[in-house]
Formats: sequence, structure tokens, C-alpha cells
Amino acid sequence: MVCDKTNPSCAATCRQAVLLLALALLPAVFTAWLHPKRPAWNWTRPTVTELPLADAERLTPPVIWLDARPDEEYAAQHVPGALSLNEDRWEELLPKFMAVWQPGTRVVVYCNSQECDASRAVAVRLRHDLRIDNVFVLQGGWAAWLEEHKP
Amino acid sequence: MNRLTCTLRLLAGGVFLVAGALKVLDPARFAADIDHFRLLPYFAVAPLALYLPWLEIICGLAMFVSALRRSALVLLLALTVVFIAAITSAWMRGLDIRCGCFGAASTAPLAYDLVFDVILSGVLFWLWRAEGRA
Repeated sequence: MVCDKTNPSCAATCRQAVLLLALALLPAVFTAWLHPKRPAWNWTRPTVTELPLADAERLTPPVIWLDARPDEEYAAQHVPGALSLNEDRWEELLPKFMAVWQPGTRVVVYCNSQECDASRAVAVRLRHDLRIDNVFVLQGGWAAWLEEHKP
Repeated sequence: MNRLTCTLRLLAGGVFLVAGALKVLDPARFAADIDHFRLLPYFAVAPLALYLPWLEIICGLAMFVSALRRSALVLLLALTVVFIAAITSAWMRGLDIRCGCFGAASTAPLAYDLVFDVILSGVLFWLWRAEGRA
């Protein structure tokens, strides 16, 4: 917004906008400091190993396949034997996964396609929150699996 | 005062209050949602996830303070235009992500959020014009 002396109300609006921008900083600082669910201050994006479908299917057992898509898509169709674990119902679904997971188990997470981030998010969470290694993201996701296993 | 203006102001202010509050509940999740747009470097994601919800809440509240309303409208209009640009870019790149506009309550496809934001920006612009005439 361009303000000049002939338009005092514009200058006042600018000043107030700066005030509002500054006001929001204060609670944001407290959130960063005290919020139990504050984001981690990582300076680099967490990395997850992606596996092409052929490699994922050749993993040494035991392997757990995790479907990170929304419930209704999992209910419609999923990789045979895959468990559902998505971020929307994380707390409810996690116990089912933990019941079958054992140390040394390999985990393959997938979502819809290459252009989805749900599988990556679930994989990062399993690694960081639960310190589970051997977590992989399926390259191409459900679309790649479906393409390979066409009836 | 015009009843329509008053209703729209209540709705627009309320939308930002609710949207901000839902995101404040889980800033880590909102950070992940921002990151999924693949528009920002990773170091900028956490600060934005902490700041943006509070800016929405403060501006949403300022909509109900007559002295601050004009500046709140300018900021919220600018924010909504940025949201529209971000959602459009994600949509055009074919990203299968959720908007995160309403925190954990965001489950609709991106196109719905885009339509919602376009309508919201129209309402904000109209309110801003109405404010100028007052």
C-alpha cells in the first residue's frame, strides 16, 4: 500500500497493520516455548528411504505394509494384509500396528500415488516418535501397486 | 449500520478465529501441512506454523474493534490471496495433500478450499470497500 501525507487514514491503517503483525508475535513465541505439540526446530527435512515396488516386495520378512490413506479409501481396497495407519486417527490405529510389530520387522508405508505426502508423514512419525528403524515409503504408492497387480 | 455488512463481518472474523484456533491446537501438524505444499525451505516451516495461526486469531479479533478493522481487513485479504496462490500451485502440480486451513478438521479436497478462499477473499474485499465508505 502506498501512503503519502495527503492520505492520513492510509498511514494509520499501515501503522495499525504493523501493530497487528507485531501483536501476533508474542503468543507465537509462547507457543514455540511452551506448547506440548510445538514443531521440532529441524533445519533439514527428515529423510525417509523410498523403495520401488519390486524392492519392497523382495524385503526379507517379517514385513508390515501400512496404508496411510484415509479410512474410506482403505476400506474400499488396500494391499492384501496391509494395516491402516493414518494421521487422522493416529491414536486409535497405532495400537493395532504396535500389536503386530516386533523389533527387526520391516515396514512399508504407502499412500495414493507419488504426489501424496501421507506415507512420508507416517514414516517420519514412526521413526521419530517411536524410534522404529527399517521404515520405508513405497515409491508410486497405491497407484504403483495397482498398476503391477492389475486383474 | 447495514445488517448485511454486520453479518458478513461476523462470519469472516469468525472464520479466521476458528481457523487460527484449530491450528494453534496442533502446531506440529500444521507445520507438516505447510511442508507438504513444497513451497518453502524447511527452516521456514516451523516459524510460520507458530506465527500464522496467531496472526489469524489477532486479525479475526481486530475485525470486531472498529479502530483496527481496516488494517485487519487489509492483512486478512493479503493472507487469503497468499492461501489462494499456494492452493492453486499445489493443485496445478497435482499434489495429493490436504489444505490444513482448518487444522485437523481439514479433510476436504483442495478444490473445495480453493473455492472457499475465493469466496472469502470476495467477502473481505467487499467489507474493505464498505469500511472505506463509512
